[in-house]
Amino acid sequence: MSFRYTMIGAAVGIFIFYLGLILSLFYFVGGKGFWEALSHPNTLFSIRLSLIGATLATFFAVIIGLPSAYALSRFKFVGKGILDTFLEIPMIISPVALGAAFLVFFNTPLGELIQTKGIFFVFEVPGIILAQFATIAGLTTRLMKASLDEISPRYEAVARSLGSSPWHTFYRVTLPLSFRGLLASVILSWAKAFGEFGATVTLAGAMPGKTETMPIAIFTSLASANIDKAIVLILILVAFGLLVLYSVRLTGKRVRYD
Amino acid sequence: MIRIEGLTILFESFKIMDLNIQIEEGGFHFLLGPTGSGKTLILESIMGLRKPRTGKIWIGDKEVQDVPPEHRGISYVPQDLALFPHLNVKQNILFGIRARDLDMKTYEEYVAALVEVMKIGHLLERYPAHLSGGEKKRVALLRALAPKPKLLLLDEPLSGLDPSIKVDIQHLLKNLHSSFHTTTLCVTHDFEEVYFLGDEMTIFIDGKVEQVGKRDNVFQRPNSKGVAQFLGAKNLYRAKVLKNEKSSQRLILGVNGLHFSIPTSLYQDRMEVGKEVDLYIRPEEVMILREGKLVKDSLKQNIFEGRILDITDRERYHTIYFETTEGKILFEILIPNYAFRNLNLSVGKMARIALREESLWVMA
Repeated sequence: MSFRYTMIGAAVGIFIFYLGLILSLFYFVGGKGFWEALSHPNTLFSIRLSLIGATLATFFAVIIGLPSAYALSRFKFVGKGILDTFLEIPMIISPVALGAAFLVFFNTPLGELIQTKGIFFVFEVPGIILAQFATIAGLTTRLMKASLDEISPRYEAVARSLGSSPWHTFYRVTLPLSFRGLLASVILSWAKAFGEFGATVTLAGAMPGKTETMPIAIFTSLASANIDKAIVLILILVAFGLLVLYSVRLTGKRVRYD
Repeated sequence: MIRIEGLTILFESFKIMDLNIQIEEGGFHFLLGPTGSGKTLILESIMGLRKPRTGKIWIGDKEVQDVPPEHRGISYVPQDLALFPHLNVKQNILFGIRARDLDMKTYEEYVAALVEVMKIGHLLERYPAHLSGGEKKRVALLRALAPKPKLLLLDEPLSGLDPSIKVDIQHLLKNLHSSFHTTTLCVTHDFEEVYFLGDEMTIFIDGKVEQVGKRDNVFQRPNSKGVAQFLGAKNLYRAKVLKNEKSSQRLILGVNGLHFSIPTSLYQDRMEVGKEVDLYIRPEEVMILREGKLVKDSLKQNIFEGRILDITDRERYHTIYFETTEGKILFEILIPNYAFRNLNLSVGKMARIALREESLWVMA
């Protein structure tokens, strides 16, 4: 077999592997249980909770991630290397361990103080947002830093020399130039939060109608042998995933300023 | 007037020590140094993007080394131009006026005049991606000049251009400077740019200022062998002072047994007999004598006979490689094409060369 066909064959093999997996779900689609599961209040609640949770977690991740990414991309400061390394912690440790670490933290005096005087996180909706935020904040920062790295600091230098303040330069030059990359970072972060399971289930639990996000609902449905509901939720997750990938591809298209 | 005093910049492997530059109001000053010598770092420090270790910068009477870049009144045109790709030409040009919150009405006429000089009126609605290299240079220059900066910093403004466009932009820069008199500091390693545009220049080698002065003076009279070599000097010889005749006020230098006679009045340095010096003769200052033609008195002191070893044809001139019979010293001689055609020269032919006294330059 020629070199070219071997390489393309491998790529097509991966595609068939995932496509087969998704198509196999349709074997169970269409039964009475399927339509009941789709319109069940708990299913709709899980979808709504996942959408709201992922959106809020992404919002907070962007609020902290964008300035952090800019600092890491543009400035030299003491401890930059350590800070940069810590961004990868959520990517290398298990999400369950991350959730467990939160449970431990909220049992320390500081954690208890936060819960009694501030917001209650453990087995509550804010816990979902916190767990998702913890999982994606590092990724969001890393992706945004990559987008900002692609913009030459020379643009900012020229803007400053033309009388633009650092904030004005950031809004008028850096953000517009890196907008597409930043948008792709936001979309990917949202997708990651949307599908988050381990940290969320550990910190917020799996209470139907309260803290049951879509991935948790898939797990509990399978555990209780409710295959129809599990398939409905998996298909919705896949649909959202494909939509996200398509959006990212759209943002990745070359910018034409004309 | 712009004054830079004792600027010292230490950054990664770059070490720039005690840089001093003074530019008169409306002057065009060149900072000439080899590629990778830290010239851009100097511009960034003057602009305020990089904090120098020590040094002071004055713009007029105002000391600005602690002033943020946006308040210095300095415009910068980087080598890659950095035109904002998300803004059209008009928006690029007006960026500085808007960022400084200046009254647009008072600048309208001035900007219109710049657009006229730059001949970019038809490009105002275009985006940088749709401009040619020359058009981009024009827009970048206009953008920098629009807010009427007190100092314009240019980083290799003619790099990366086709020769014909380069000539256009050279003329444009000259016109702009003579029309608007913006005080300009330009860094480059291109001697042609300096010849065409410069009033004054600073030679900057290995992190140190080697020579400051009027353009012609620096090119014709480098103050060290290092400067001469950086300027691409040909005909650079190690010589020995053989005589220092007070009566005739002449200095006799020897190179491989060949004697050069120079008036002592040209040199303030003491030239004791026996001292080793560097002798420099610019290739375009060497004359090949036409057979049978009378020689002026001023040339008679330094006439040498020899053979033509090689001739190369350049675009606008010929380079003659000439070796003296006595001492076997190799001279590189530049002759304009029109003069070359009249001389009837060929490889292997014997000829005589003459050196004007003023063209011999001695570096102690």
